[in-house]
This record gives sequence, structure tokens and C-alpha cells, in this order.
Amino acid sequence: MSPGCRVGISWTWEKKRGRAVQLGATSVSEQHASWDIHADAGDGILVITASGAITIRTIGALQRSLSEKLREVVTRKGFGDACINMSGVGVLDTAGAWLVHKTATELERAGMRVLYDSVRPEHRSLLDEIASGLLERHPPAKKPSIFASAYAGLNRVAGAAGSQALDIVAYFGLFVTALGRLLLAPRRMRLTAFVHHLDHAGLRAAPIIALICFLIGAVIMQQAALQLSYYGAEVYSVSMLGMLALREVGVLLTVVMVAGRSASAFTAEIGSMKMREEIAAMQTIGIDPVETLIVPRILALLVAVPLLTFLGDVMCLAGGAVVAVFHLGQDLPSYLARLEESIELRHFMAGMIKTPFAAILIGIIGCSEGMKVAGSAESLGQHVTSAVVKAIFIVIICGAALSMFLASIGS
Amino acid sequence: MLPKRDNPAIMETGAVIRVRGLKKRFGEHVVYDGLDLDVHKGEVLGIVGGSGQGKSVLLRCIMGLEPFEGGNIELLGRDTCKLDTKLRAATNARCGVLFQDGALFGALNVLQNIQVPMREHFDLPQQTMDELAMLKLGMVGLPEIAATKKPSELSGGMRKRAGLARALALDPEIVFLDEPTAGLDPIGAAAFDQLIARLQRMLGLTVYMVTHDLDSIFAICDRVAVLAEKRIVRVGAPTELQANPDHPWIEEYFRGERAKRLMPNSNIVMSAAEGT
Repeated sequence: MSPGCRVGISWTWEKKRGRAVQLGATSVSEQHASWDIHADAGDGILVITASGAITIRTIGALQRSLSEKLREVVTRKGFGDACINMSGVGVLDTAGAWLVHKTATELERAGMRVLYDSVRPEHRSLLDEIASGLLERHPPAKKPSIFASAYAGLNRVAGAAGSQALDIVAYFGLFVTALGRLLLAPRRMRLTAFVHHLDHAGLRAAPIIALICFLIGAVIMQQAALQLSYYGAEVYSVSMLGMLALREVGVLLTVVMVAGRSASAFTAEIGSMKMREEIAAMQTIGIDPVETLIVPRILALLVAVPLLTFLGDVMCLAGGAVVAVFHLGQDLPSYLARLEESIELRHFMAGMIKTPFAAILIGIIGCSEGMKVAGSAESLGQHVTSAVVKAIFIVIICGAALSMFLASIGS
Repeated sequence: MLPKRDNPAIMETGAVIRVRGLKKRFGEHVVYDGLDLDVHKGEVLGIVGGSGQGKSVLLRCIMGLEPFEGGNIELLGRDTCKLDTKLRAATNARCGVLFQDGALFGALNVLQNIQVPMREHFDLPQQTMDELAMLKLGMVGLPEIAATKKPSELSGGMRKRAGLARALALDPEIVFLDEPTAGLDPIGAAAFDQLIARLQRMLGLTVYMVTHDLDSIFAICDRVAVLAEKRIVRVGAPTELQANPDHPWIEEYFRGERAKRLMPNSNIVMSAAEGT
């Protein structure tokens, strides 16, 4: 660059409706700010004149323009010193001070000595605070590759499944040992809590389970009659319904319903106690939370689920009967007679044998999720959701496994 | 403690909040009946009063979060009753509020929380917002590592600091603090007081602080407004109220056992006042 050649870059930004604010004696436009950059290669001094209100309202536009023009000047080299003149700055907030400081840092990095000129004392102190308190931004973490994250995800899911299985076993152990202690001292059994949960998880679930089973029974009967009629085997629809209802459908519908209703209720109840540290309080008083909270709930389910399943079975068959009589034109005595000759006690038992397994699993999952609730309301919501999902998932898997087992041993 | 009036950025050009004849009821329960209050530019005003006297409700009335039946509130020179939604938002953007437990958005991390007001009101590049948010984080004394944490992973004191950083995101003119030291240990509370005092000096803030904490009042408040009998019964410097309570509740508050323990040398002032 030839000596004496003057590069002048001036840039102003003003919003259309600049709002004037009264600040002490000076009236400045709150939305107006400008930088003038005078690069005089003759004396080797880069002069930046800042004026107006350098605030968070203006820095966006200032910065966009400034950075490229500054780069242009800086790349020409030849400047030993830079002077930032701030005599015209009316308002400077932390964002503005940050921009000034950042600009100065950039110039210093380019090898210049930066001087401030005519800085008001309050702006000076703000600039000093910014310079001293500035935290370095850490670089954003590298995104892992898709394979790595898929592997990590799979790993996490497998780990969660493993720890879940371990949890169920651990809580089952707690339940059995607490039950054992209670059998030795039956007076410590919480009878009131047991009856309360029997009411809530059992009696109050009865209407909805009865209705669902009745409707599904009717639908199965109707479909069975329709499909079998193509082969002229309509007579077997009753035995098909009987088998399905007693072995699978009655129990499945019941345990899914109980899992949805009671697992969530148990998690919410125990979880909110956990949140308010009531469980910790119980332990300090010397009350065993497993004995008082978990045992009555699981025992209530152990009683309620078989009874509800029996109700579900009966309602399934009743639904079938209604369709048979009113839709298919059979009479009730012949429906009952056909039912009697096609199904045996072992079919009923094959369904009923699943109920205690389901009851224990639902109870354990509901209670253990409740015990895992941490201090916040979000955590409670998450655990209630996961209790319902896990409970339904596990009772269906367990039911399927037992069905396969029972069928293969010929029961 | 440093003197507060040494910063020329703090210029007293009248009241930034002016409440006149405020009336507010919850059903049958009258909260305020003719409440008057002035908050001056650049001061730290403490609002004290017994539980259930409506200290926080007043803050909510001023910020337009709670409707009121009578009187008027002027915020930054504008009558809040006459503001439309847009102007209300613009006025609120010039104020920052620290709610009791920080009120950080649970789904966002600390850095994103601080950027919410910037994102809402200005069009800044992401990198600038990141750097500004880190700056605010440093200003409230949070470590760098807190930036990427979720609010639920922070301690109560850190949540309050993060909430303060969000309140300061737009360099507000007025900062409202709702019980800033409640739930902090004495050392944490004292550090928070000093943080507020430092930021107030540095940024020339006007601070409206709802508090119970006698320590905070004596440490940082320029003036204290006492809320009792459904109005502001007295406003004055803490030492002045202590020397001359003139009201049973203020007497109890500033001269009770706790206040005495806090200010051992104030006995001299008291005995002098009682002697006259």
C-alpha cells in the first residue's frame, strides 16, 4: 500500500423508527449505532470510531458488516496500532461491550496494539468486567457416527433390559422376604391397606373388564360363526369361543387392563411419596416400606386378578351367548350344552394358572418404578408411563410363554 | 460493602415503576387497597412483609401477570393498563424476572435457556448468541461446565444463578427478584447478595427484590418498602426503618431477636432512639 493512501470504510445502520431515550443529559437514539474505520497507512494507525447505542438491539447488524470489512483492512497489514475511539458511544450494554472487546481481541490477534480512546468511565468498567469475566466457549462435542450411535443405542437398550430383569428379581426377593417376615408375625400385616387396594385394583376394575370381555366375546363368536360357516363347521364356533375365552382372551384382556390401571396407580402413589421424602421418613421412624407399601399391593393383586379373570371368562362366554341366541338363532340350552361338551376344567385352569404370574409382575413393576422416582414431577410422569408400558409388555410376553408351555405339555 | 452511588451510569431520573392507588382482590380477600409505590432508577428496593401479604402478587401485577381491580401502574413511563399485547411484550423485554426457583425451561439446557429471550426478540447469529450466553453465564458466576446441563441437574443455588443469567439476557433496565436468597445456605445467600450488588453496579440496574432475608436487606438494599395492612406502610433506608420503626410489624421485624443478633452495634442506635 502506498504511503498516504487512505482507506475509509464507514458504515451506519439505523432502524426506521429509532426510539429516542433520555439518558442523563444526552439524548441518543436507542436503535442507532455506527462504526467508522479509518485505516491510515501513513502513520500506521487504524482508527475505529464507534458511536451511537451499541446494545443487543444493534450488534447483530453491526457485527455482520464489521467482521468482513475489518478482515479486509487487517489483511492489508502494515498497521502497528489500533485505536478504538468511543467518545460517541451513548449506550453500551454487556452485548455491546462484548462486541467491542471481541473486535479488540481480533485486532490483537492480528498483531496490533489496541488502545482505547475517550472511553466513559462507566463503559470502561463494563469493558474491564467483560474482559475479566469472559468464559471461553468450549467447542461443540463431535457428533458420533451413525454406526457408533446405533451401537451405543443398542448397548443402552440391552443394558436397560438386563437391569430391568434384575430389578424384577430383586423386588421379588424383597417381596418374598417381607412376606416371610409377615407370616412369622401376622399381626404386622397391613390389613386396611390390603382391603383398600383390593377395592381400588379389584372391585373398581370389575365394570370395565366385564364390559370389554363381553364385547370381545360377542365379536369372537360372531367372527367364528362366520368363518367356520364357509366349511359348514358352524357348530364348532361355540367350542372355539370357549377355548379362546378361557385359555387366552379372558385372562389377557384382564391382565392388560389391570396393568394399565394398577401399575400406573401404584407408581403414581409410591412415586409421589418418594418425591416428598415420605418413604425416607417412614424408614427413619422404623417402618419398612416394603412391608407397608409393596406387600399389600401385590397381595391385593394376587387376590384380585384371578377373580377378575374369572369374571372376564364368564363375560366372554356371556357375550358369545348373546350373539349365538340373538344373531345366529341358536337357543341358550343348546349353546350351554355344546359349551359343556367341548371344554373341560383343564382349559379353565390353563387360563387361571397365568393370573398369579401376571399379578406379581404387574405389582412388582408398578412398585419398583414408583421407588425409582427422583425429586421432580417430570420424573414421576416418566416412571408412570414406563410402568404401564413395561407392565403390559411383560404380562403379554409371560402369558404367551406360559401358553406355549401349557400347550406343549398337553394341558 | 462498596458504596453504591459511585457509578455515574446510575442517574436518578425519576421513578421507573410508579404504582398509584392499587386495588386487588382474590374473591372476598382484599390484598391491596390503595397501594402506592415508587421505584427509582438505579436503586435496589427491597419489598418486605409478612407471609400472605402479597409481596409476590405485587410483582406479578407490575409485570402484567395478574389483573387488578383499581389504580394504575406505570412501568418505564408507560401505563400498563393501556398497553396492547405488542407494547406489553416490548416493555416486558426491558425487564428481567428471576422467579423463586429460577423457572428455567426444563426441556432446554442452561445455555439454551439464556438464549430464549435473545432468540425471541432479536435476529442474531447462533455463534454470537452462544458467546453472549457464555458471557452471561460467567457474569453470574456459573462454571463453564454448567452450560450444557439441564436445569434438573443443577443445585438450587445454580438454578437461581442460571435464572438470573436468563433474566439478564437482554440487559434489562429493571430486574425483579422473587426471594432470591430463599432456600440457599447462608454462605450461598451472601454470595448471591454480592453478585446482585456487583451486577447492579456494573450494569446500572434497578433492582426490585421481594425478600424475607434481613441479611440481604442490610447488605444490598438502598431502600425498603414494607407491605402491611393492604398497602405500603413505610419506605426508607433499612437503617432508618430500624432506628425509627413507627409501626408494630416493622418494630418486630427490624428489632426482633434475629435483627438484634444480626446487627449487634445497632443496639446503640436503638437505645439512642428509645432514650429520646
